[in-house]
Amino acid sequence: MTLQWGYKRAFLRCALLFVVGAVLQIVFGDFDNKFLRYPWGLIFAINYLYLLLLVYVQSAKWKWLQQLYDGYAMISSLTSMMVLVIIFGFTRQDPTTAGWVGALGFSRMTSSWIFNILLFYFVTTLGVCVMRDLHHWRNARLAALLSHTVVFVALAAAMFGSADKERVTVDLHLDRMTYMGVNQQGEQVELPFALTLKEFQMDEYPAKLYLLDTQAETSSEEFLLVENVGDEAEIDGWRLKVKESIDMAARMPESEEFREMHHVGAVPAVKVEATNLRTKTKYQGWVSCGSHIFEPAYLWLGERYAVAMPRREAKRYLSRIEIMDEEGEQRRVNIEVNKPAREGSWRIYQVGYNTQQGRWSTSSVVECVRDGWWRVVQVALWMLLATGVVMFLTAGGKRLKPKDKEDKR
Amino acid sequence: MSWEQLWIFALAATLCWVAGAAMALRGKNASLTAMVSSAGTLIFFAFIVGMWIALERPPMRTMGETRLWYSFFLSVAGIAVFVRWRYKWILSFSTMMSVVFICINLFKPEIHSKSLMPALQSPWFVPHVIVYMFAYAMMGAVTLFAIYLWLRSSRKEPSAEEMGVCDNLVRIGWAFLTLGMVMGALWAKEAWGDYWTWDPKETWAAATWLGYLLYLHLRKMTKDYHLLFALLLFAFLMLQMCWYGINYLPSAQGASIHVY
Repeated sequence: MTLQWGYKRAFLRCALLFVVGAVLQIVFGDFDNKFLRYPWGLIFAINYLYLLLLVYVQSAKWKWLQQLYDGYAMISSLTSMMVLVIIFGFTRQDPTTAGWVGALGFSRMTSSWIFNILLFYFVTTLGVCVMRDLHHWRNARLAALLSHTVVFVALAAAMFGSADKERVTVDLHLDRMTYMGVNQQGEQVELPFALTLKEFQMDEYPAKLYLLDTQAETSSEEFLLVENVGDEAEIDGWRLKVKESIDMAARMPESEEFREMHHVGAVPAVKVEATNLRTKTKYQGWVSCGSHIFEPAYLWLGERYAVAMPRREAKRYLSRIEIMDEEGEQRRVNIEVNKPAREGSWRIYQVGYNTQQGRWSTSSVVECVRDGWWRVVQVALWMLLATGVVMFLTAGGKRLKPKDKEDKR
Repeated sequence: MSWEQLWIFALAATLCWVAGAAMALRGKNASLTAMVSSAGTLIFFAFIVGMWIALERPPMRTMGETRLWYSFFLSVAGIAVFVRWRYKWILSFSTMMSVVFICINLFKPEIHSKSLMPALQSPWFVPHVIVYMFAYAMMGAVTLFAIYLWLRSSRKEPSAEEMGVCDNLVRIGWAFLTLGMVMGALWAKEAWGDYWTWDPKETWAAATWLGYLLYLHLRKMTKDYHLLFALLLFAFLMLQMCWYGINYLPSAQGASIHVY
């Protein structure tokens, strides 16, 4: 196959942009998007749109400008993006990477000149295509027009708004007010509001019992899920049966028995009976995962095997937080994973807690996020959702003709 | 319902699917064929619903659970394509692929615990996974069809109609990839504060999306079917990387929050 000149020219342009990106990366280091901070991102975006329009309008007179959005440009820019994203996928993102991978910025792909320049070229090609599509509106091309437009809006907003994203992690401790956090660069940042953790709540999944092989230092793959007294399971030649289960328990010093106790650090405890299926030997005793106060408890089955309970998995955790804004107005919100709270242009996300203390945690980690361009991206994403539906409905719209003779072969 | 009962439902479903595929190949009544195949799909869906109830959460978390949906949607996609375009071979393809994934679940069972971590407890979880599995099923079907067209013994060039089938399947699959990706982005904003973080799973999802997008654009530019089929195969390899490959990829180890 001989490559057409149009392709050669378009791919050469991409290669040239790649080389320019590589040189800039080596000379100046990572691409810094600070110059796009508000209001500059918005100013650049408006001028960029105007330029795209200008390019499209002028391309009627200056034919060479059409090379920016013809089929060859489209294929070459799409291919370059795909290749770069594949390199992205194969390269561990680690800023400390040395060698040519680090030098070209592939290990910090989103801040590499090559990636940003080729992304800019891709978005530009797409942008002028959108101008052309809008100019030559055809109902038959509705799905293509919609997808071009909304993908362009989403990518352009992501590009020009990239410097306006702020993520601030805040460590909250019970009843202690704080308005300071740490941003992604590790710098201390002052927030325009203060947060106080009033309560931390956590629901956990039922306990699971595993069989440990202390010689091979392995744990069984199967487990006994402790939901009710009487639950049983056969694991690696042993039958485990739940005889007693306490959600909040503690073991008194010098005692083997667990008793119900509602107190900070209380642990789930399960009295289990283990029977060796071959020898019929039976063992019975308490098993517990322990907490930051109480030691874990195991049931030893002879010298080699033991029954153990790992820490229970979190089902849901919630921080009850008091927010005080700059005017001194106070309000209480609950935040949990997937349910962030809002404060002005900020959203506050539940991120973590003290895992050592588990359900008794007295601290909570939240992340305050601000993204001035989110509304634009949000609209584009919802429209892309609608576009996907339109595309599905219009795909292969025409029923194909009945099969002809050739097809029956 | 538990995994022990999978083989019973799978066997019943497979029998229906095989019967449907045979009827389609022999050119029997199309409505009856679709009904027989649909009966298999319904039987299989009954197992999924049973698991959903027994697990007390959507069976979509583990790889084994997503394979259930993949088998289910392959059969749905096969029947849908058959009903719409009456391709007599499509039901054999979809049956074969569904059975392969059922066999993986039967012979390589995984531990399926009841727990669902807080990040997955979202209204987006179910549509996100279902839409992606449907897209994967469509792409699986088009890949097999492309391989058949490319390597068939007659060495005949694919007809315009055959290429049209590829285009339609890719277009539908790509539309669903887009839906899945956007749902993921909207969900990520609610769960993690950003709609796109270049997590390895997202990176490979983007590569896959771009790969099929390239096919859709290249179709208008070239008639070289070798190049087009090679691209379809390549895009499907990227899809595998996105689906489960990142679980093994060294560069993604410890870097993805999408590993379950």
